[in-house]
Amino acid sequence: MSVAKASREVTLGFLTVVEHGADGLFGGYLVLNGLGRPLEFHCTEPVRPSRAQEILYGPTLRPFLFGEQIGGALVNRSKRPVAAVLTDQEPVLALRTAVDCPMALVLAGPQRPETNVGDPAVGPSAASPGRCRFDPAHGAPAGLALFTLGTHRLAVLGGSSEDRHLITERLGDWAHSFDLAEPFQRIREAIEEARQGGS
Amino acid sequence: MRSGERLVRVRGLSWHPPEAPTVRRVALEVPVRPFITGFNRALGRGVPIRFRRLAWAGQPPRSVSVAIGSTTVRARTFLFAQPQGEEASSALAASHPRAAMPTQPGRAGAPDRATRIRPPRDIVKLEDRLHYLLQPPLEALFRNGLLGFPVRPFTYQLEGIAFLYPRHSAVLADEMGLGKTMQAITAIRLLLRLGEVHSVLVVCPKPLVANWRREFEHWAPEVPVVVIQGQPARRQWLWELAGVPVKIANYELLRRDWESWQSAGPAAPAIHFDLVVLDESQRIKNRASVSSQAVRSISRSRSWALTGTPVENSLEDLVGIFEFLAPGLLSPRMRPSAVGQTISDYVLRRTKDQVFDDLPPRLYRDAEVELVPEQRESYRRAEKDGVLRLSALGEGVTIQHVFELVLRLKQICNFDPATGASAKLERLEADLEEVAASGRKALVFSQWVETLRQLAVRLSRFGPLEYHGGVPPSRREEVLRRFRHSPEATVLLISYGAGGVGLNLQCASYVFLFDRWWNPAVEDQAISRAHRIGTAEAVTITRLLAVNTIEERIQRILEEKRELFEALFASAGSPTRTGLSQKEIFSLFDLAPPSATRQAA
Repeated sequence: MSVAKASREVTLGFLTVVEHGADGLFGGYLVLNGLGRPLEFHCTEPVRPSRAQEILYGPTLRPFLFGEQIGGALVNRSKRPVAAVLTDQEPVLALRTAVDCPMALVLAGPQRPETNVGDPAVGPSAASPGRCRFDPAHGAPAGLALFTLGTHRLAVLGGSSEDRHLITERLGDWAHSFDLAEPFQRIREAIEEARQGGS
Repeated sequence: MRSGERLVRVRGLSWHPPEAPTVRRVALEVPVRPFITGFNRALGRGVPIRFRRLAWAGQPPRSVSVAIGSTTVRARTFLFAQPQGEEASSALAASHPRAAMPTQPGRAGAPDRATRIRPPRDIVKLEDRLHYLLQPPLEALFRNGLLGFPVRPFTYQLEGIAFLYPRHSAVLADEMGLGKTMQAITAIRLLLRLGEVHSVLVVCPKPLVANWRREFEHWAPEVPVVVIQGQPARRQWLWELAGVPVKIANYELLRRDWESWQSAGPAAPAIHFDLVVLDESQRIKNRASVSSQAVRSISRSRSWALTGTPVENSLEDLVGIFEFLAPGLLSPRMRPSAVGQTISDYVLRRTKDQVFDDLPPRLYRDAEVELVPEQRESYRRAEKDGVLRLSALGEGVTIQHVFELVLRLKQICNFDPATGASAKLERLEADLEEVAASGRKALVFSQWVETLRQLAVRLSRFGPLEYHGGVPPSRREEVLRRFRHSPEATVLLISYGAGGVGLNLQCASYVFLFDRWWNPAVEDQAISRAHRIGTAEAVTITRLLAVNTIEERIQRILEEKRELFEALFASAGSPTRTGLSQKEIFSLFDLAPPSATRQAA
């Protein structure tokens, strides 16, 4: 089997949420084949939490909205199984309890060859809005388990150690040639396109 | 106590100052009365507690129930078909060792740059727009082995590919030498590999057919290409041949075949292409020409035009090209500003100055020569007789008459017809000595085959090669190969017509314009054979000019036109005439044009 064919058979889900001020939250879920080509795209209409939710969910509001509400709605609409769901928004990981495929947080884009291991993992496109950044000097975000896949830094929920193993196994072969952070930029642009009302 | 001794007594204390000679005893009485606090007794006393029974009064406390509710999330879904072409193309890639060649470093462009495909404005359906918007950056496609390159493309070339890829109507109007052919081939390759097109026709001038074939072999070695040529029956078979993704035809041949299809009526072949690419599309600037009608008659889904000079003379040139791309979009009556706005999403034009900081410069020098006496005498006679004849024609004079005289005089400026004497040749020989001595190569352009042949004889010690209409097409590739690779081949004598476009001759560091063309754009095309991507050192352009002749007068007008042309592109398209007008041509001999308006040059 050719590398291209093997890569193509992997499907990956990329999920992110964009905040648009007063308009609310827009979720986008992009399913790609192993060559990075789009197979499915799902996006939400704007979601705005009620005042009661804001008060009563308190600090758990974002995981509730990003993960359970938006993430759940998007992943449930997908027609294809995916090897993993990746996100660049930590609250989206709350979706993990509702899906039965591994999930990981992409912390930064591929490291430049000249980047030292000990340097802050600021990838080439790390300046993109919404991108999670991680400075090793300050340790891992609470409740997350960090690991490296190819040139990428990922994190899974602390209680999902099996996810790390599955993601490494399923994505390890081609993670070297694929910028796992790049598809989120596509999603943001697609959300913007949809938001502006093209139809 | 001694006399005079003072004593201070405090109850229970006494103090003797060290030097107190006199102390008097005084008795102090301080009464002390002890009292009882009762603290210990209080600790032992019990706390008195009194109980009182009260009746409950008032309403029970109020409570409020707040429903958090669940947020209803509405979502939209867009499904994209798995590209059918990827399966076949992967197999194709595996079968061709160069196809999946990894991208090599060494060219301009940041390694982490992401060149994204953007949907053009004329795509309005959201699903179609997202289809393009969600495609991976071109660099990702190249990185994961879907497409490989012999050398890494420049950043602006990737942007050109991303521009062409989603467009059904597009003009790539980069300045000559920036690699329009490569960009078009790679965009075609991408469309083929991703299954978005299956049949492509490239139409180009006849001298460029071999160049296109060579460029396909270089940039898309896995893509099968056929050239439509040969006898009519064979051509008919090739037109209808299925399963070949790319066909190349030349304008002249297409014109002939179209005319035969016209006469064949319903029996004409029903040919459809997913994409038709016109190279040097200024060929169809005249909408009424047979070439224009022929290419417009081809059934197609996408139409691209490649040209370095989208406007050679006037706005009508652009209208002619857009009749092929998007019929009716432009009209000659539109104002230039409106045209610019209308075509902005269809046209991509970059100049070398915009994309290269480090391309070696062009060094122009005008070599003004005095005609040798024999030439001067021939010239004087020809001009005097010619002007007299034109004057004698009166209102019957036509632009054709004037042209004939201009051409006659220009030929004398090259060589004296009687003796073969040539001031330009003398200057050229001197310069070529230097070129040859330095081990460099030179291109010498002329508009006449006869002039080039004369030069070939007179410059024989430089081993000149010839590339013009008098050289059979079957031999031309060999001529170019020898010029590029043979150290003995110092000079290539080349005509504007045959070699002005499409050739890559970066090995030449010197360009000589032995005579001048009418239009600056054509001269730029010629110079760009040497000054283009891959040029390693500055290119010196020598424009030979016979002073006090018709050439000097033409030069003056051309310079004005060149300034105008550059101003047009700088202002993003406000086309006006850049060729010689009828009035200007007549003015070369101080003649007034006839009253009836005739066609400009």
